[in-house]
Amino acid sequence: MKENDFNRRDFLKVLGWGGTAVALSGCGNTSIQDGQEIVTSYVTLPSYVIPSIANYFNSTCAQCDAGCNIMGRVREGRVLKAEGNPNSPINRGKMCGLGQSGVQAHYNPDRIRQPLLKGQAVTWEAALGAINDKLNGVKGEQVAFLTGGMSGHVQALFGNYMDALGSKNHFSYEAISPAVLRVANKKAYGMAMPRYRIDKARVVVSFGADFLGAWVSPVNFAQQYAQFRKGTRPEGRGVLVQVEPKMTLTGANADSWIGIRPGTEGMLALGVINALGSAGIKLPADIAAAVKDYTPERVGVNTGVPFERINKLATLLKERSPSLVLAGDAAEGYVNGSQNALAIAMLNHVLGNVGKTVEAAASVPFPQIAPTVGSRSSLNKLNDGLAAGKYKVVFSYGANPVFSAPAAMKFKDNFVKADFKVAFAQYLDETAQAADLVLPLDSAMEDWGTVVPEYMAAPEGSDADTYAQMSFRQPLMQKLYPDTRGVGDILLALLKQRKADEYKDFEDFYSYLHNAVLKNKVALGGKTTDDDDIFWDETLSKGIVPLKGVAGSVSAKMSAADLKLSPATGTDTNYPLRLIPAVSASMRDGRNANEPWLQESPDPLTTVVWDSWVEIHPKTAAKLGIAEGDIVEVASKSGSIKSQAYLFPGIHPDAVSVPVGYGHEGMGRYAKGVGANVFSILDPVFEQETGELALNETNVKISKTGQRVIIVKEEGPLGGSQDGRPKIAVQVQADKVDLSKEV
Amino acid sequence: MSVSNLLENWSKFRHTHPVEDKGHPDWEAYPSDIKWAMAIDLDACTGCNACSVACYAENNLPVVGKEKYSHGQAMHWMRIERYWDESESGFEVDQGARFLPMMCQQCEAAPCETVCPVGATNHTEDGLNSQIYNRCIGSRYCSANCPYKVRYFNWYDYPTTKDVWPSPMNEQLNPDLSVRSKGVMEKCTFCKQRTYVARNNAKTEGRPVQDGDVQTACQEACPAGAITFGNLYDPESKVAQKWQHQQVELTKEKQDKDKTEGNRLRGYRILEELRPYPSVMYLERVRESAV
Amino acid sequence: MQHILRLFILLVGLFAGVGSYAADAAPKLTTPDDLGPQIEQPIEFPHFRHAGDAKDGGMQINCMYCHTYARRSMVAGIPPVQKCIGCHQSIESVRDKPRIKKLFEYWEAKKPIPWKKVHDLPDFVRFNHERHIQRFYFQQDRPYQEVCGYCHGDVKKMTVARRQKPLTMGWCASCHMKDHPISAHSTKTGHGPNDCFTCHK
Repeated sequence: MKENDFNRRDFLKVLGWGGTAVALSGCGNTSIQDGQEIVTSYVTLPSYVIPSIANYFNSTCAQCDAGCNIMGRVREGRVLKAEGNPNSPINRGKMCGLGQSGVQAHYNPDRIRQPLLKGQAVTWEAALGAINDKLNGVKGEQVAFLTGGMSGHVQALFGNYMDALGSKNHFSYEAISPAVLRVANKKAYGMAMPRYRIDKARVVVSFGADFLGAWVSPVNFAQQYAQFRKGTRPEGRGVLVQVEPKMTLTGANADSWIGIRPGTEGMLALGVINALGSAGIKLPADIAAAVKDYTPERVGVNTGVPFERINKLATLLKERSPSLVLAGDAAEGYVNGSQNALAIAMLNHVLGNVGKTVEAAASVPFPQIAPTVGSRSSLNKLNDGLAAGKYKVVFSYGANPVFSAPAAMKFKDNFVKADFKVAFAQYLDETAQAADLVLPLDSAMEDWGTVVPEYMAAPEGSDADTYAQMSFRQPLMQKLYPDTRGVGDILLALLKQRKADEYKDFEDFYSYLHNAVLKNKVALGGKTTDDDDIFWDETLSKGIVPLKGVAGSVSAKMSAADLKLSPATGTDTNYPLRLIPAVSASMRDGRNANEPWLQESPDPLTTVVWDSWVEIHPKTAAKLGIAEGDIVEVASKSGSIKSQAYLFPGIHPDAVSVPVGYGHEGMGRYAKGVGANVFSILDPVFEQETGELALNETNVKISKTGQRVIIVKEEGPLGGSQDGRPKIAVQVQADKVDLSKEV
Repeated sequence: MSVSNLLENWSKFRHTHPVEDKGHPDWEAYPSDIKWAMAIDLDACTGCNACSVACYAENNLPVVGKEKYSHGQAMHWMRIERYWDESESGFEVDQGARFLPMMCQQCEAAPCETVCPVGATNHTEDGLNSQIYNRCIGSRYCSANCPYKVRYFNWYDYPTTKDVWPSPMNEQLNPDLSVRSKGVMEKCTFCKQRTYVARNNAKTEGRPVQDGDVQTACQEACPAGAITFGNLYDPESKVAQKWQHQQVELTKEKQDKDKTEGNRLRGYRILEELRPYPSVMYLERVRESAV
Repeated sequence: MQHILRLFILLVGLFAGVGSYAADAAPKLTTPDDLGPQIEQPIEFPHFRHAGDAKDGGMQINCMYCHTYARRSMVAGIPPVQKCIGCHQSIESVRDKPRIKKLFEYWEAKKPIPWKKVHDLPDFVRFNHERHIQRFYFQQDRPYQEVCGYCHGDVKKMTVARRQKPLTMGWCASCHMKDHPISAHSTKTGHGPNDCFTCHK
């Protein structure tokens, strides 16, 4: 090789930390006396590196499952910041706060640095040896592997490993996922995850889909939303109506927020269809029959939404087409969740939105790298198996079920029953603490991989129908710790224990990936005549591989036969309030709780920081004699937690809400002991068709404990009042401004 | 205002109003072809906090923790304020909440500048309200006099405070600007380190700074693209076009359009009536009452 | 296979605070003869040999041949060891000199040379080499010895550089306040930036 021929891996070795003699002055004051410090210098340096000027490397965000394409800003061997890749159809150069915090997952001081066997640091040889020993004594069906959502080449390798073990016990688990929606969408549109075109809609009616906050692919949706709001659009400025019992970030941005009675979302959708029929929209006979009884008057009584408002909503939808109706977490977290979602989807069919604002998305042409999505029902299966003692060796990667399973499932007790539990983890979280062996993972900024997003956004253009993409994840700097490993590397090492011959050519996961990509050069957009090295470098530098995907189609019709909307479950006189676990954009299911920027950035709606809280409607609070800052006990049949009360006007008076993701007992200094874990008190009530945990089906009672704190929050003592000053955050009615000529 | 001008015109600096129908307080002495300004569309802003976190990442802002936060010592240069609609019966939620990203407004006649006893905060030729950390003595007069409350004081030596930047978190710090230590005031700089690089590169290439050469960290992150930033003196720049269309003029304390009945434009500046001549124009949030 | 190297980098002075640096240490910044202190470097690099005039036995190499980033970056940069080796591997005549032996030791060990910082500005100062080189070397077309030498002294007569100028703010400002021609072909003049914020970060 030529002397100056750097490839990507060598580049990292050149620039990254490593060795022992890194003279890094810490924070604080450095000397200004000559000769006290050492100048940055190198042995050798690629020509594109100029000290003091940043280099950008494309990669893929790992903070949630949306798979945004990012660029790492790299200076003198350190990644400083993540920025959006402007060429990405998903995030188009933009990023959310959660994604920005990825650097804090990477530089986190609480990362695990060595393999831990029964709490003792061991070598990788010992760790992998222990796994081998345990596996040699058990049958394939006695091995279970719990993962989060996965895709790309890691998943392909994972599949091979499961085959090598002879185990079919792969459980893909996400504590918060649109699992019910996928099933309902499949029925309603013929595909689990169609493309939603908020940007093309004139009206968006969202039943609890927090698409600006934590739902599916929020950065993509936020950009569509910005288009949707533009008065200069041919369709004019769009109108957003949000229906949900607890105001989400999306609800806070609605033109009209409708605080509905929990669990009656589907009924409202049928009521709107009924009103549309009355307003002259022609309904197919089966649908007309299905909604016959759902007159706005009756629906109004059941949902708590005045019937005039239902009629108005129907008029709006009739007048402004195309519209888009979305079903989200708030509508699905019930026993009748998928029926709710189906009823809501039917609204799209009635309004003729399917095909216009609900578009078919393509899928990747390689099934082995297509995303495996997680759900909660798979955790139930694993839990049952563990309880029955079916599994001797259990692996866990990318999931923290000990934290996020309801206490009533007794997951931890069942988990520890297994002989040997292996956790792949970056932090010593609750699941890793309960494991026998903990394998320390590289951060997403140190690891190789490929990612295929579940929600497949497409660039504008004629080939959007068949657009699919695979994104690269590549190290943005050299490893911080020598003894962490990438998940691909660990899987490869484990595979070598089973099938040494097949994998002997691959020194590490990088060489596996490199080989796999070059073998499929043509499918990945190259030509057979392309030089391998050039193709690899170019593909990697772009970070996004557009694939000719398999075009899907959305079904144009939906039969009302599937729809049997059961009434919402009532409350219990002993537990008079409905608990809505809130999923915030930054905390999500709690996996990122140890990133201090997220703890310190206020919840957008309550502005609370560094703690969890209980949202109570001021009227309800007055009835119970609760004031802001009172420590209240939230008790369900399955348990109780204590947290500070926050009086919140954007919640149904019969509901209370507590954010999820707080209340860790492990993980690290920023997460541990902050807030209370609301997952723990959820009742084990499941959605009737999918078996998903019905997150909103827990009834609770609230009582004061007598303690009181001053809530730490961003808002001042006026609590969101502008105190009579007219021109702080100004709002104007749409008919009072001329938006069409704005620049 | 530069050091020499500051020293030469100390008395004038204290007594005359900085804006007298000139684009810039020092306009005659230091003509500039750049005036950095911003426009924030509240109708696009979703209040998601991405800008705020991006600012933490870019500008070496310390995470102060719960206790110090409760004392009002959070260091968020860019913060999101949340307001509710109000009626006689209390807060109204039918049209959601109102979000307002608030950071230093880089006032042309900045109230903070005139009260600094050491001239540590003063105006630059490109229209920024600068904060010179090593000159600052920590009197905090500027913060007291800031109508927007966007100046943040280092009550502690954060680099040596436990769990602020524990190793290796300090390796994320941006070397393009200093990490402030105890006793100095700090605030949003419109990402000075980025505008500096843009001006430097343009100068090397022998051309003026063009629109798009520089993005602030908050603008770059904003998923809804609510933030526009650029050179107000460049008629081709997006920010200048927005200001012009909205008929908001930098040097006016009361906009002509506000005097006309039925004004159908939504650009405004916050606390304009106090005459600080802020460089950030907000666009009113729009809501429809169709439902 | 010189490129597959496991290296470390030396990074200094990037995260510094400002403020109370004068409290206890109060280092002497200049020596009685108004120069910086004499600094011992890992290799006593003979600048006079490389940059010196031919009549003095030097090779008149342009400063920016080695300090290559000066014209396009904030920092001038210390050349990577590879650059030294690039020439020295074909200069057999001096291979046995102790300094060159030391150089090859570093190269073979794949370790960068821990050069000491001679011109150390406080961390709250933003000094930009690129602007000064662009202005005075490229636009005014002045000799590089003069342009670099204005701050660094007559390096072509030195071994390891020793700080020759005070590098204080007053010293910087004394030049910034002067009018300098805009280019070699112009009579127009302009002074250096005068905003605190340009140089203080």
